[in-house]
Amino acid sequence: MKEKDSIVDCPEQQVVLYVEKEDGNYEPVQTGSYLTKNFLDDYKLKRQHLEDSLHQKVQTGEVSPIYYYMILEDLTISELSARTGFKARKVKKHLEAEYFKSLSQDILQIYCDVFNITIQDMLKLIIPATSEPLDTNTI
Amino acid sequence: MMSTIPFKHKMAAHCESGAVTSLLNNAGLDITEPLVFGISSGIFFGYFHKMKSFAFPAFIVRNKPGSIRTNLAKRLGIKFHTEQFRIPEEGMKKLDELLENKIPVAVQVDFFYMDYLPEWERVHINVHFIVVIGKSGSKYIVSDSYFPDLVELEATSLQKARFAGGNMSPKGFLFYPEFIPANPDLKKAILKGAKKACFNMLKIPMPFLGVKGIRMFAKKVQEWPKLARDIEHLSHEIMKINILLEDQGTGGAGFRFMYASFLQQSSAILNKPEWKELSKEMMEIGDGWREISLFAARIGKNRELGQDKLQALGRMIAGRADAEEQFFHRLKNSIH
Repeated sequence: MKEKDSIVDCPEQQVVLYVEKEDGNYEPVQTGSYLTKNFLDDYKLKRQHLEDSLHQKVQTGEVSPIYYYMILEDLTISELSARTGFKARKVKKHLEAEYFKSLSQDILQIYCDVFNITIQDMLKLIIPATSEPLDTNTI
Repeated sequence: MMSTIPFKHKMAAHCESGAVTSLLNNAGLDITEPLVFGISSGIFFGYFHKMKSFAFPAFIVRNKPGSIRTNLAKRLGIKFHTEQFRIPEEGMKKLDELLENKIPVAVQVDFFYMDYLPEWERVHINVHFIVVIGKSGSKYIVSDSYFPDLVELEATSLQKARFAGGNMSPKGFLFYPEFIPANPDLKKAILKGAKKACFNMLKIPMPFLGVKGIRMFAKKVQEWPKLARDIEHLSHEIMKINILLEDQGTGGAGFRFMYASFLQQSSAILNKPEWKELSKEMMEIGDGWREISLFAARIGKNRELGQDKLQALGRMIAGRADAEEQFFHRLKNSIH
């Protein structure tokens, strides 16, 4: 790739590419991410649709908030099992809305550490959209 | 409160080759990232259609994480101190002690917890490498090859990142150079690195690795619609081809551009003019990979994901397999 073809104005995400300079040498250049510059809006749109559809599934009791975050963060049952220390069949159960209700705060905290969220973030998902805001002091 | 160790930070194409290069440069060894990458036989290809730890089929374009350091050390006679920890507090304590002793330290982390990066970039991947060069209050000073400047990272985030579980979990892994020979034998190391790269691309008997892996990818990508939740999921996964080839720290075209640079630099070191020609050929191969990544981004964005487009994508990928097969045979034959 010629240097002139690598230049992308995208301060939000910089990358290093190896390009052919004018003197024929293959050297690094710091430039912007082509994908972020041109397709970030599409990524955000798809992400929003995914969040909405998963949220809907949580609200209708089809899946648990753990399933919501597992899919959003591109994890699998096996990976979540390895990261939490719970057996895969346990994790599978935790993805069910019914079973989720019986989980202790300690178990939820383990999942929240993996997802890098608070327990409040997780529980907010199961509150119907029309309800009062969650009083975090009671959790 | 600790001070920051004097350390020349610069962005690099890739996190592991970047961390290794910057540690060696700061310790006084004049070596470039392409040489580190090439000597350590970094170039590779692997396609994984079904793996328990991946939510969707995935491919890799470099050798196994950690191999850049170990192969380079073996071939240049460098000794790295390496350590893993069972107890997170011990791992953090050891890091603090090293920083107190003014030693910059590379650590393996889960990329997801690098809070200074934009949210859309951060994914759970346990094989990111950063260099820690200081601590100020509750924050560590970090040199990350993917970020233009030095950054701060909260101790809690760093601990989480160093001790994340899962596939290839870091277990607090850290390393730093302990011994660097005064005049490492670059010529011998370059030839060994290239020879092993040829073996990896041509001779590994598994059907999903090397050139055979590229062919498998060309065929299997056409089955992706069956595995996707919906059209938007398929679009996301197809556009990830671009991320894996360009944005996720490869120097462009899935490391092929950086490998071209390695061959060009090596041609001068070894006084092998034929490698200069091979470097041009590798640059052209890289241009073909770049066309693939741009095509994938375009059809993903436009949701043009019917069989005709996926077959076209498959043909473009298969073309890279043919080109790389011929290239690595020529490279292999040029090594005496």
